[in-house]
Amino acid sequence: MIRHLLIPLIIYSLLSSCSTKIISTNYYQEKKETVDSIESRYEKLNARKPFAIAFTDKKLTIISIEMISDTLTRIYEFEVNEKRLIDSLVKYSYDTSGINYLIRKMQETKVTWINSVDYYVNDRPQQLIYLSIKPVTIRYLFSPPKYIALGYFRTAQSFDEKGRLLDSRRTKKVRKIKGQVFYKITDRICYTVTDKYR
Amino acid sequence: MESRAGNFSERSTKKEAIEFLDSIDQTKESAFWPNVKPKLFYDNLALNLENPMSFYPGRSTNFCAYGALSYLVMEKDPLGYVKFMNDLYDKGEATFNNNHFKPSRAVMNAAGTLQFKGVLDIRHAEQMWFLVLADKFKGYLNFFNKKYQEGNENTFWAATNLSKFDRMVNKMCGVHVEAVGSDLIKPWVKDPYTYLQKRIDSNIVSLYINNRIIHKKNHDKIKFSIPTHFIILRQISKENNLITLRYWDYGGETQMQISAGTLKKIIFGIITIDK
Repeated sequence: MIRHLLIPLIIYSLLSSCSTKIISTNYYQEKKETVDSIESRYEKLNARKPFAIAFTDKKLTIISIEMISDTLTRIYEFEVNEKRLIDSLVKYSYDTSGINYLIRKMQETKVTWINSVDYYVNDRPQQLIYLSIKPVTIRYLFSPPKYIALGYFRTAQSFDEKGRLLDSRRTKKVRKIKGQVFYKITDRICYTVTDKYR
Repeated sequence: MESRAGNFSERSTKKEAIEFLDSIDQTKESAFWPNVKPKLFYDNLALNLENPMSFYPGRSTNFCAYGALSYLVMEKDPLGYVKFMNDLYDKGEATFNNNHFKPSRAVMNAAGTLQFKGVLDIRHAEQMWFLVLADKFKGYLNFFNKKYQEGNENTFWAATNLSKFDRMVNKMCGVHVEAVGSDLIKPWVKDPYTYLQKRIDSNIVSLYINNRIIHKKNHDKIKFSIPTHFIILRQISKENNLITLRYWDYGGETQMQISAGTLKKIIFGIITIDK
């Protein structure tokens, strides 16, 4: 009986010891000002003309930009310094210098993805800004990558005693964003650690 | 690798569907769908008729195949769709193109409660539609998860493989379906661009693609090469070896530019459907 229990325990401990470790457990607090300024800059730019940005390579030199209109989403991939990026932003009437500055800041802070997520409370539209950061990690063979995802809500949210984001004050139901449980940082900012940056 | 089915002609018009919708009581509550709000339900049906491209399968769900199917259903039989949804709402069961739907109690309770899925949160007719389709049509991907439980819209319960998609299109629309490709092996098509271009004008073309290549979710270079997404191809063109794809998926059109190599890499299934 003990042998039967030992084998899964050994396998479990091997697997858990080989999972990716994030070096800093306090990444948001260390980069708070820069990350918050990226979020607020994005919020303003996105309100004028919606878009989303992802860095698709490890060195954060290639971006995928989604230019969103009511009828069409255009997705382009550029190198950060490529002239086509500026040309496309101009062509579709985006704030070129504002987005360029945002891209540089995202690169410096290792923000790999930023977008706006719509959701509904009492049938009314709400918005949250979702951004992912690529922290410094120790990775073992076959272990998945890890990202820190931050959710910036516009209004104060409800959390349970374990700090988990809830659907609303009235229910004790844990709210999942993209299948992930989020934890409290402030009353309107929460985080999770995830294998996917978007 | 190739499947065929019978022929089809358009069954109804948008005008007939709007006239039907205007003629029914849109304030009545349903005894079968406790969480579906009448206003959100009927407003949603009106939107589906006004703008069929607005169908939105929801963020992080496995409803994309049912979204693509909705596009085809609305092209062919908008009146059939509205009558079916109204019957389902009133009686808890309904028939569409000789396919009888009697959803499970769990599905009936879930419709109207899906949250954090984007605009699908307030589209109660679409929540019903996607859930009943996933509840009715099963393929091998659903083998271990056939009964709906909360949150299953994001799991294998709702997943669709290529042959299940072909079967759904054939059964729901009765259209001629010709598919090449499979769930694991890419189609034997030498030049996908030319293949698609030849078909797009005279048919509706749906693609079964590996979306993780063009919509990366992590920075790993080694990725499993499997298809993950169904789209409806709307336009395809080529300039300087760069292919521009315009397709419908989540409630609207997306345009992207990719190389011929990437196009070949992402396609696992090409489904050609008679217009």
